[in-house]
Amino acid sequence: MHIMEGFLPWQWAVFWWLIALPFVIMGVIELRSVLRKDREYLPLLAVCGAFIFILSSLKLPSVTGSCSHPTGTGLSLISFGVFITAVTGGIVLLFQALFLAHGGLSTLGANMDSMAIGGPIAGYALYRLLKNTSVNMFLTVFLVSAVADFVTYIITSLQLALAYPAQVGGVMTSFTAFLSIFAVTQIPLSILEGVLLALVFKYIVQLKPEIIERLGVFSREQIAGAQMPRDPVSPVKV
Amino acid sequence: MFQNRKLELLTVFATIGFVVLFLVVSAQPGHEFSGSDDVGSQMVSQLTGHPVDSFTPLIPQYVPPSGEIEATLFALQAAIGGIVVGWFFGYYGGLRRKKN
Repeated sequence: MHIMEGFLPWQWAVFWWLIALPFVIMGVIELRSVLRKDREYLPLLAVCGAFIFILSSLKLPSVTGSCSHPTGTGLSLISFGVFITAVTGGIVLLFQALFLAHGGLSTLGANMDSMAIGGPIAGYALYRLLKNTSVNMFLTVFLVSAVADFVTYIITSLQLALAYPAQVGGVMTSFTAFLSIFAVTQIPLSILEGVLLALVFKYIVQLKPEIIERLGVFSREQIAGAQMPRDPVSPVKV
Repeated sequence: MFQNRKLELLTVFATIGFVVLFLVVSAQPGHEFSGSDDVGSQMVSQLTGHPVDSFTPLIPQYVPPSGEIEATLFALQAAIGGIVVGWFFGYYGGLRRKKN
């Protein structure tokens, strides 16, 4: 989903940067206050960030015969919300822009808007919708992660379509053209990412249920209800 | 035992399904599995009528000189993530064991 350096006219690059900046600033403020409240959140934050690092480095083949990568933002946005995910995702995108020529500094704003902000906002909306329903906790994590991944690529398609409307048919035509590249490729990847992050979330809940409860991610009842009894990895007494 | 491992099984099945899908797609000719970022860039050049090379960076950037070096840097990225995940899962596991 990286828009390569130089592939956005400077007006659009500035525009997307202006949208991204408030989220990053809010994220830094929120990050400081969360860590000041309790240092025990730091390991979980590191794990969430690390999964963005790992998953966004894996370029996987897909049905369209081209490769793409998952985003890995699901864990971070469920645990810490949209603003902090703008920071964790932004760091990964900065790393790739500086060292890997995947995306660039001028397009970093646009790439943050899709992967670290827009996708996570869609995922977070779904999470809020499902949070207090009887939907299983792990199913929620699966759906939220998959949606955050998928929407990221829809936004990238939109960004490119706005900057490069087709001569015939305008923005909608090029939006469809970019969707056929990015979105279709992403369907199997986002499903795989959702399953994987749900599994990781299960291990986090097994090892540290109290931190998930304290962050208000899921209630004590939900955590207890979703736990699978007599799991050999670590029996949790709730 | 197996009912406690539902998510693990699901992950295994999803992975197998993904690999099978890849094998089926790659068996058909005409797929080069290039990055969708590059395919997207080609689409931009097609829409604008300007060749891909004519899009020059607005801000100069470091470009890995070869595919090998790029692969190394990507592996490094994944490794950093892997170390952090392993480290803190170990830390959480140790805390939990001590508490019990």
